[in-house]
Amino acid sequence: MVSVINTVDTSHEDMIHDAQMDYYGTRLATCSSDRTVKIFDVRNGGQILVADLRGHEGPVWQVAWAHPMFGNILASCSYDRKVIIWKEENGSWDKMYEYTGHESSVNSVCWGPYEFGLILACGSSDGAISLLTFTGDQQWDVKKISNAHTIGCNAVSWAPAIVPGSLIDQPSGQKPNYVKRFVSGGCDNLVKLWKEEDGQWKEDQKLEAHSDWVRDVGWAPSIGLPTSTIASCSQVRFDVITNAEHAIYSAFQHLKHKVFIQAF
Amino acid sequence: MEEVDVEPTITNIPAISDGKHMGFAWGPGDILVYETLYKASGASGSGCSFIHEIRKDEDIYSPILRKLFNESHHIFVGLQTIREELPSKSKKPQFVSISKNYRSVIRACMEELQQVAGNTVSILLAIELIWNLCEVLFIDAAPAGSLLLHLLDWVRLHKADVDERAREVLQSESPAEHHDYWDVVVSYVLQGRLEEVRQMLVKQGTLQPAARSMYKQMDTLLSKMPFYNPGGTQTLTEFDVKWRHWHEEVDRCLQDNSFASNRHLEVICKILLGDEDTLLDHKELLGTWYHFLVTRLLFCHPTVKPTELHYYAQSCMTMFLDSRSVSEPLDNILLAAFEFDIHQVIKECSIALNNWWFVAHLTDLLDHCKLLQSHNLHFGSNLREFLLLEYASGLFTHHSLWQLAVDYFDHCPEFGRVYLELQIERVPLETERKALKVLRICEQRQMSEQVRSICKIMAMRALRNNRLGSALSWSIRAKDAAFATLISERFLQDYCAKGTFSDLDLIDNLGPAMLLSDRLTFLGKYREFHKLYGEKRFREAAKLLLSLMTAKIAPQSFWMTLLTDALPLLEQKEVIFTADQTYELMFCLEELTSSLNITASSTDRPMQEEDVEVTKVELLRLALARNLAQAIVKEGTVET
Repeated sequence: MVSVINTVDTSHEDMIHDAQMDYYGTRLATCSSDRTVKIFDVRNGGQILVADLRGHEGPVWQVAWAHPMFGNILASCSYDRKVIIWKEENGSWDKMYEYTGHESSVNSVCWGPYEFGLILACGSSDGAISLLTFTGDQQWDVKKISNAHTIGCNAVSWAPAIVPGSLIDQPSGQKPNYVKRFVSGGCDNLVKLWKEEDGQWKEDQKLEAHSDWVRDVGWAPSIGLPTSTIASCSQVRFDVITNAEHAIYSAFQHLKHKVFIQAF
Repeated sequence: MEEVDVEPTITNIPAISDGKHMGFAWGPGDILVYETLYKASGASGSGCSFIHEIRKDEDIYSPILRKLFNESHHIFVGLQTIREELPSKSKKPQFVSISKNYRSVIRACMEELQQVAGNTVSILLAIELIWNLCEVLFIDAAPAGSLLLHLLDWVRLHKADVDERAREVLQSESPAEHHDYWDVVVSYVLQGRLEEVRQMLVKQGTLQPAARSMYKQMDTLLSKMPFYNPGGTQTLTEFDVKWRHWHEEVDRCLQDNSFASNRHLEVICKILLGDEDTLLDHKELLGTWYHFLVTRLLFCHPTVKPTELHYYAQSCMTMFLDSRSVSEPLDNILLAAFEFDIHQVIKECSIALNNWWFVAHLTDLLDHCKLLQSHNLHFGSNLREFLLLEYASGLFTHHSLWQLAVDYFDHCPEFGRVYLELQIERVPLETERKALKVLRICEQRQMSEQVRSICKIMAMRALRNNRLGSALSWSIRAKDAAFATLISERFLQDYCAKGTFSDLDLIDNLGPAMLLSDRLTFLGKYREFHKLYGEKRFREAAKLLLSLMTAKIAPQSFWMTLLTDALPLLEQKEVIFTADQTYELMFCLEELTSSLNITASSTDRPMQEEDVEVTKVELLRLALARNLAQAIVKEGTVET
């Protein structure tokens, strides 16, 4: 049914916690408990180490690639409470920005849709979610949602950039009024939806369908229907929540999704 | 919460050992897995450093099948353009011919694959078998009479080994004594190829002169078997009567023990009567239950109606497959076809095959024949579109086949466009040529968001590689004012540093694109100034230079450079700037110096730099004053 078409030996000295392909599937970023983030060029079934990024002081939990129109940018988050944004400039990777505003391990990072510019959501064990927006000239604007999840936030995922009522044609030439939304999952067993209104982030909905910690969440891409699909999974078993008429299979085609599977 | 159609299948990942936690991420077209450990607090311990890229065993990666995808794409597009207004009746032959086209493509592929071993050949065989049956039952929709003839053709096409064996027998020294002789004869009978049977029996007949009359009798029976002629004048009822008479005659021969002394001829006689037990005795020669079905119908009920098929199909399958063998997916699919349950056929094929090619194309064709009920699925799209979308999405992961997928999306009216928008952004833009190809596709379909996104990506990439000209033209195409401004600044910086412009062609031919950003406009106009100066059109150059400052097109940071550019014009023997223009220049200079506060001493600037600036200003003031004097004199002089 499936075959291994390539194996990349990352040479990480400790447990790997995340691996992500870039937008086109040509580069692979990995992160590990050995505190490093590595980037490989994996075109044509090969593996060439492009960068070995050191800057974290604890296990690195997740990495996320930004949209290529902003250049080659990668975000990483770690147990050391830091979020680091790396950028490739003139062929070499360097720290572009370091955020230390959390009081505890940062567990998840996710870039927003490119229509919103360069904006990163970070979920932390201190229960807060922070949103870092690049405003130009090495400046980042920070907005924090404190106590988003009581014991800690484990995962964040952005909704696609769609305009409310987008099924109706927008008059051309007008800049669309996007609504920024994302979903988060936490140790309080809840999945929460967040919406930005008048520059402030507010809790839009709360979904109580899990009996244990929510480990990961994913928001399916939009195909123009008036409903949305979110998938979430929990420590105990795998669940899917749909509040739409989507069947599971077509959503899975496109979901960027991490599943907590135990191999038997 | 909705129910799922079938339980999600469990996929075993070969590379991960038992008992470990598995990390997982989607890549475009494949998945990444790695061993890891999830624990509430920071997990550590020895880990495995391997990351595995896993892909479904899909056939799109096979080079031979690529031909299948390419050619079927061609047929697909042709099918979509068949005009809707024509009544269905006249379109049926067209649809049948298209169906045959698809099948010939499959067969061509099979022939090529014969050399290469593997599963694919048998899968293609099965696909062609199913498609052929669907063509007979659904598209051609043969009525009783013709139906059996088509089914007979179908079986004969898919049991080609008979001819091979026959050839072997006939080419031997004494065919009638060949050990396969009777097997071949019986196989021909089972397929209703009675002419061939008669030819073969002649050889046996000559060997046994004593039994000549028996062979003659058999030959007569065989020659008299009626076959329905759809194009003829005989009605189905008339044919049925004739056939019954013949059947009775054969039965009489059997009852009379006419063939009792020859075991083989008696078997043939029983087969002609459609005797079940005799037929089942020859399971090996029949090979499959559907061959058994068709043979049985041929010799028991040649006027079978389409609606009666499924009774016979079900019973034949049960009889043929004894308790030991289990029905395979192929059997279920064929059975569903005999039951005219199109949706079941499609559903079973979707589950059994690991590639959407077959179900997508077949369903599309059936949809055009108006055979699919509008079966609204949960995701708001119809069955045809769903399958086409799945197939095309799969193609998109391939480095060259993705272009075929575009046409498929184009013909999915509900979701095709949005799927295309999502997928086309992920095509890697390794070369500028490829980027332009992708761009053309987006522009043709007015996908302005994607156009902008791709142009921005290419502009950023060009800028990183210091190809300013390319970056500028991409940002103009993206209508990205901010980026254009950034790049224009870089151009101007380069000019200040090196004294020349790079990418002159581009800047000279900006045209209306110049208006995209102020800085870009300035860049264009400044270059124009240099051109005018080079062509010695000094008056025009002077006018332009001045307007750059007075119309505030030039950023103030650049004014010093502009004024310095004015120096050679001021120093010319001939007076170029008019008095008024000179006043304006002076005004600009004053504005600049007062805002920059050059003349005032500032402690934080290095002495040398300040000196240079002060000297420049003094030079300018002198030149301006001299020019003013000359201009006033010139303008005040009356030419006599």
